[in-house]
Amino acid sequence: MIEVNNLTKVFRKPIRGNGLSGMVKTLFSRKYEEVRAVDGISFTIPDGEIVGYIGANGAGKSTTIKMMCGILTPTSGSIRIDGVEPYRKRRQVAQHIGVVFGQKTQLWWDIPLIESFKVLKEIYQISDADYEERMAFLGEVLDITRFLSQPVRTLSLGERMRADLAASMIHNPRILFLDEPTIGMDVLVKEKIRLAIHELNKVYGTTVVLTTHDMTDIEDLCSRIILLEKGSILYDGPLVNLKNRFGNIKTLTLTVPTDVHAETAPVLLPEVAISEEDGRLVLRFDADKVALEQVVQYAFRDLKAIDMKIAEISIGDVVKTILEQQEAEHAEKV
Amino acid sequence: MRYVHLYFTCIKRSMISRLEYKKDTIIALFSFFFSNLCSLAAIFFILQAIPTLAGYTLPEVGFFYGFSMLPIALDHLFSDELWLVAYRRVKDGDMDMHFLRPVPVLFQVFAETFQPEGFGELILGVALITVCAMNLTVKVTLGAIAVLLVGAAFGAVIITSLKVAIAALAFIFKRSGPLLQIIYNFSAYAKYPLAIYPGFIRVLLIFVLPFGLFISLPVDTLLYGTNNPWLLSLAIMGAAAVFFSTSVWIWTLCERRYESTGS
Repeated sequence: MIEVNNLTKVFRKPIRGNGLSGMVKTLFSRKYEEVRAVDGISFTIPDGEIVGYIGANGAGKSTTIKMMCGILTPTSGSIRIDGVEPYRKRRQVAQHIGVVFGQKTQLWWDIPLIESFKVLKEIYQISDADYEERMAFLGEVLDITRFLSQPVRTLSLGERMRADLAASMIHNPRILFLDEPTIGMDVLVKEKIRLAIHELNKVYGTTVVLTTHDMTDIEDLCSRIILLEKGSILYDGPLVNLKNRFGNIKTLTLTVPTDVHAETAPVLLPEVAISEEDGRLVLRFDADKVALEQVVQYAFRDLKAIDMKIAEISIGDVVKTILEQQEAEHAEKV
Repeated sequence: MRYVHLYFTCIKRSMISRLEYKKDTIIALFSFFFSNLCSLAAIFFILQAIPTLAGYTLPEVGFFYGFSMLPIALDHLFSDELWLVAYRRVKDGDMDMHFLRPVPVLFQVFAETFQPEGFGELILGVALITVCAMNLTVKVTLGAIAVLLVGAAFGAVIITSLKVAIAALAFIFKRSGPLLQIIYNFSAYAKYPLAIYPGFIRVLLIFVLPFGLFISLPVDTLLYGTNNPWLLSLAIMGAAAVFFSTSVWIWTLCERRYESTGS
């Protein structure tokens, strides 16, 4: 179980001038600015849950993860991983967590992959039997057996990420922190990684905290999401609720004859918004308020639609809308 | 016991890394012999140019020089990774992996690299000492041998401790390599008898950066019996204990300030 309470991380940075002369002035200046990377957040994650931790670049996701796994010490507030504070008893917590940073490998660069695993076996004091079992499981779900004897630097990005994931799971951690595990991966590798995370959660009941910019990751894996913006939590709750935050929004994309345009089209109801994108008409409406059937009839009869696609609003759209609203509010204040 | 086993596992890993690049290994071995040959020649030329130094004869100065290489070589074997920490690894946020493992960060830094080059310096130092000792006419006592052994081994501990404390400052300043270089360069002073230096440098070299304590004083004790070898051994071991525990304490304090980098 992860308990985060009023967690804050402030970085102190000298206020720098521009260019060389500015940098020289900085040397003699005592002025600092405070950057509140994480600003008083609280949440609790029970065992066995898969949580999506999302937000724009620089929202404070990685900083939170780094505090939870004991790399950074919080400025104030507390974190408890199964009751233990990682920045006080780092080693005790490290034994039970696994961490992957998509941007940095945790493996030794120039030795065969299998040698890295042998060192990790000693570091985590894994028994021979457990080691065999884990290697068999990970070899299968992550498909790494084929390149175990290759040095890490010769692996492709996808192979390296799977190897990194395997390395983070080798000691059967109770909690797994994954910071952008699918960054830069092709669809097939992404699929494999998602399946592996799912499998691990199902078989071993591992808690997973996942940051990603890929909303498919979120929709495939997470039952709960925490949305972070400028160091504060904007939303924390089930994925479904966030999706329905703006109602049960559906979009109909219509292929229409060339003489039909959004401005001149007959209006069905004010609740159905019409716009034009790439020569197609897009209808957006709340399916709880306006019957889908009615809109479909209207599309074929009044707009002379030739073809149509019905889509639910994606989680990506919701997040985008929320972040845009936030930015607009912020701009108004300033 | 666990850590001894773990240390050897990690060192094996470090050696595999070295051997991964075949041509690089061959070049490294070759250049290593060549550079040691050069330093040996340099010592020979220096010693020829200065027949006596503050009353010390040629074999005596040679003995000094050879002995001063031993603690430096021992330190070189085990703690070379500290240079990378001080110059680069903290600044680049490259220490993350060590913070994620259930083993002390400092231990992992030591276990990251083993520098076999240190053996070369060790062999060279011992050879120089042996050659010079054969030309010396001193009565070798058990105490003198003991204080030399203590000076070499615990001197290495003191050098390593200094490196640990200064490398740790990188956690606060992001980069402490240049400072580490300055302090390390002071070991060059210890290659010669303390007698050639003015008073304040002597004090500095005994009490602050105690290169003189574990190099000059033991050699003087062998050559002239200036100190009680057993008491001096005790003093060196005491200093090593103080330096080591203080530097580990400094490291653990600084480690908490690690900031990593954005990703």
